[in-house]
Amino acid sequence: MLWLSATGLVLMTAFVSMQVFGRFVLNDTPTWTSNGSVLIMAWFILLGAAVGLREGNHLSFDVLLLVLGPRAKAWLHTISDLVVLAFATGMIIYGLQLAIRTWPTTIPNIGISGGATFIALIWGGCLMVVFALERLLRRAVGLRTARFGDQDASE
Amino acid sequence: MELLVLFGTFTFLLLIGTPVAFCLGVASFATVLYLGLPPVVVFQRLNSGISVFALMAIPFFIYAGELMVRGDIARRLVALAGAAVGHLRGGLGQVNITASVLFGGISGSAAADASAIGGLMIPQMKARGYDADYAVNLTVTSAIIALMLPPSHNLIIYSIAGGGRISIADLFTAGIIPGIILAGSLMTAAWLVARRRGYETEKFPGGRAVLGLFLNAVPGLILVGIIFGGVRSGVFTASESSCIAVVYALLVTIAAYRTLSWSDFVAATTGAVRTSSMVLLVVGSAAAFGWLLAYLQVPASLAQSMTQISDNPIVILLILNILLLVLGSFMDMSPLIVITTPIFLPVAMAFGVDPVHFGIILILNLGIGLCTPPVGAVLFVGCAVGKVPVAQVIRSIWPFYLAAIFTLLLVTYIPALSLWLPAMFR
Repeated sequence: MLWLSATGLVLMTAFVSMQVFGRFVLNDTPTWTSNGSVLIMAWFILLGAAVGLREGNHLSFDVLLLVLGPRAKAWLHTISDLVVLAFATGMIIYGLQLAIRTWPTTIPNIGISGGATFIALIWGGCLMVVFALERLLRRAVGLRTARFGDQDASE
Repeated sequence: MELLVLFGTFTFLLLIGTPVAFCLGVASFATVLYLGLPPVVVFQRLNSGISVFALMAIPFFIYAGELMVRGDIARRLVALAGAAVGHLRGGLGQVNITASVLFGGISGSAAADASAIGGLMIPQMKARGYDADYAVNLTVTSAIIALMLPPSHNLIIYSIAGGGRISIADLFTAGIIPGIILAGSLMTAAWLVARRRGYETEKFPGGRAVLGLFLNAVPGLILVGIIFGGVRSGVFTASESSCIAVVYALLVTIAAYRTLSWSDFVAATTGAVRTSSMVLLVVGSAAAFGWLLAYLQVPASLAQSMTQISDNPIVILLILNILLLVLGSFMDMSPLIVITTPIFLPVAMAFGVDPVHFGIILILNLGIGLCTPPVGAVLFVGCAVGKVPVAQVIRSIWPFYLAAIFTLLLVTYIPALSLWLPAMFR
């Protein structure tokens, strides 16, 4: 997944440099690069963010958690994973609604349906649901789940 | 009541350790439900919040920074700084700060600066008899400089959070003088502490050696010129210039220095994707949050109640500074920029503060917050690199905090420091 996301970043670099190259060297700015790269950016953000959820390296606030015992901590982590699960489900449901509503429109210059922008949202939501469930299950059976800031502590 | 739902949900989730992006998203979702608005609007805002061309500058600058760290550009800049200022009192300490100016000028990320410069300087400083806490103090506080000098991607986040109408070129230009003042104050603090602790200096290697190292570092330094010149002259947009920075960093590290291996390239790319997708998801869900703030007219009523406290801009700025410093010590930088800008910027503007000037104040405040416990990403990076406990670093860091706060006060109360240079270019 991270590979896919990383490929997105490399593609984005290629698109935008083509835009600049086209404008200055070929004197002919490609019209599709700007919209195309924005579309890819949405994809790579949502995929990267889903992977980040699994690896537990999202920015979060841990001060209260530092003073609590391991049992209370596990409970709060569970609540917070449930919240993430709920929001990701919302991303799927409402992303679908938006995609269906905007399907008949077309994005200017690249000729893809306007609904395509929301597919990343839906797909990102699906991955987040899977990873949030994975975290909940892992915790339920007593396996370790990664948290933001863990690396600092272990180093 | 709507506000209680919005801020209550947000604070509760934040305290129990939910990732910030989801705190913002779920709080907005709950409020929309409470208000009886269609919930789909939250996701629409989120999606349009991450589909902005100007936003692209953020992953690109983070990517370029990763490439420069792994591709030996940072090491060459440190060598140049070493030869140029190593003979001053506080020797390697001065080198550390100067290297942050050079590297910060091309990377713009405080955490990248702390790990790149710290990784190179802290072991060297320890080996030459400097105390580890001094080395970490310097590395951590001088990393703030990177936030002030162009290209600071945090200033781009600020520009977007401020509604996208604040010129990125002006923000980039405005940070230069405050960044240099900060470097100067930190160097003074480094000098004073070094004198008290009796640290040695390095021998001046001679002008010829400095010139040689300068030529060696030139390909890295040219990048500053490309980015800054391009954005300032309006030839490129910020996003395009950041993309050119990536391509240029690739060319230099692969073709000129031949220091970037395939595995370095993969590590840099995946690293950049990890960091930037976290930041950008926060920016996206903050778009939904910010929309609700505006819908509920929070900034306007806050500005209203601030006028009841005082009508003096000096007092208001002081209050904003204190609030930002406190918030900054508890939270990370990019979420705070996107949360506080839509609330505080209208307040500051109501008191006649220029949005460009306020951006510099905000970034400097939150930058100091990155170096303070309990939550300080840069402080943690520095301590991890230096293998020193946070508590030990904190005991001796105060001269550097004082230097940073001194700079903050200067920058806050002398608007010309931020606004004179951009005006020159206009």
